[in-house]
Amino acid sequence: METILSTTKLSKRYGDALRVKEVNLSVREGEIYGFLGPNGAGKSTTLKMLLGLVRPTSGQVQVFGKELQANRRFVLSQIGSLIESPSYYGHLTGLENMRVVQKLRAVPAKNIEEALKIVRLEKQKEKQVEKYSLGMKQRLGIAMALLAFPKLLILDEPTNGLDPAGIGEIRELIKALPQQYGMTILLSSHLLSEIDQIATSVGIINHGHMLFQGKLSELHKKKQPRIIIKTTDNRAARDVLMRAGFFPGVEEGALVFEKLADGQVAQANRSLLAEHIDVLRIEEQKRSLEDMFLKLTGGGESL
Amino acid sequence: MRKALSLEFYKLRRKYVLPMALLFLTVELVWALIAVSMSFERNRDSAGWEVIVAMLSTMNGLFLPLLSAIVVSRICDMEHKGNTWRLLRSMAVQPGKLYAAKYACAGLIMLGVCLCQVLAIAVFGVQSGYLTSVPLVLLARFLFGTLVTTLVVLALQQWISTVVKNQAFALCLGMLGGFLGMVGDLFPEAARRVFVWAYYTGLSPVTQQYASEKMQFVVREAGPISSAAAVLLAVAALLFLMGRRHASRLEG
Repeated sequence: METILSTTKLSKRYGDALRVKEVNLSVREGEIYGFLGPNGAGKSTTLKMLLGLVRPTSGQVQVFGKELQANRRFVLSQIGSLIESPSYYGHLTGLENMRVVQKLRAVPAKNIEEALKIVRLEKQKEKQVEKYSLGMKQRLGIAMALLAFPKLLILDEPTNGLDPAGIGEIRELIKALPQQYGMTILLSSHLLSEIDQIATSVGIINHGHMLFQGKLSELHKKKQPRIIIKTTDNRAARDVLMRAGFFPGVEEGALVFEKLADGQVAQANRSLLAEHIDVLRIEEQKRSLEDMFLKLTGGGESL
Repeated sequence: MRKALSLEFYKLRRKYVLPMALLFLTVELVWALIAVSMSFERNRDSAGWEVIVAMLSTMNGLFLPLLSAIVVSRICDMEHKGNTWRLLRSMAVQPGKLYAAKYACAGLIMLGVCLCQVLAIAVFGVQSGYLTSVPLVLLARFLFGTLVTTLVVLALQQWISTVVKNQAFALCLGMLGGFLGMVGDLFPEAARRVFVWAYYTGLSPVTQQYASEKMQFVVREAGPISSAAAVLLAVAALLFLMGRRHASRLEG
């Protein structure tokens, strides 16, 4: 698959704070790329730079093989976006809002009905948008982004403020878009579960740094189980195991091993018994994707 | 540009800008023309088109800065309220073009207001019974002076309304402008030159003079007014360009 969007050492500084640090992002055609990170990680700033809404301090953005700044009009004509909260004219109806976008995008009027149908807003189109619920505004924002049926759709936290039923509906809609309309989707979220259910590739960002980028399946492979050994004297046990060539960590009154094969577990047990250290428990702790995310992002951030 | 301008008018649906402008204009005209009627009745010898033009010029100093502030604020605030500056820019709409379309939209609305004023003066003058043939040149000069001053005020208001989200600030400036427009003639000339709102009377083709303890309405020569108008148009262009540049540089 061809790379449709890429950044090279993309950085953004606000005063003394470097919000985005040399991010190299790569989105391939037809995929759903989940851009994941805690609140304030730099996701929205990065997405704004991809749309030319914020000027990068340094680095480059290439979309459809063209440099963004030099080909802004062409590139943006091929992208639909919803950044942070949905943008709308509250005093106009949903249909009138769509008409404004339709005229600016210079696309056929029939696209309006189709886009409204996709987000299931066709029955509410005559209502003023200021009277819409948050979920309806969010859906209208997605309909506006879809109006030109762009090649690339950039959605920043599209399920924010939606109820569980609305989240499910938007999730199914996003999943269907690449197959039905051949779109590539770049989707940001601070919710790991959301990305896990929708995305095919993932980029994890924290404090402006890209921590991981690749297939979601690669991330799943990384979540190997840990071995935890609890003894009557953990300090002495640690010394014994270090001499035997193991390097355990200590966590909550137990020795923790990141990677240990079955044979190595048996050997560690034998070493401890040989030194007359009683082994109270040996357990395997399976890790979730959430544990991986917390490990990558330092664990202290809100999810 | 025509598409951008028609979109601005489309977006003004349900904003009630035109009814509000007409209401403002009606209040001003009723106030001014009642005052003129009373003046004509008290002193039939002094009845003349100049009195109406001078009265409307003074009233414009109070009303038009306020109306300009409200019109521009309505046009700009709809983009702030729904975060649509960002939406428009993400669709490659050039901020400079959008800014110009908004200025043209406000300018056309105010042109309509000024034309209605001129029409009202003509109808009132003929209907009053005191005056006969409509002085087209005098009214054209009045329209020109009012429009030029309004263009400067609009440029200033649009700059403020675009870069400061809280529209209370722009509306306060409009109120201050209305006050200065009304009392501007009482300030020393150096101060009067700086207050753009004072040019509603400054560019008026009619001025008031006191001779033998009597107030007279004198038609000014066109030359000095044209020079001042040219300078004012340059100021309008400068304010517009600076505002447009500022708006184009805003990130979001």
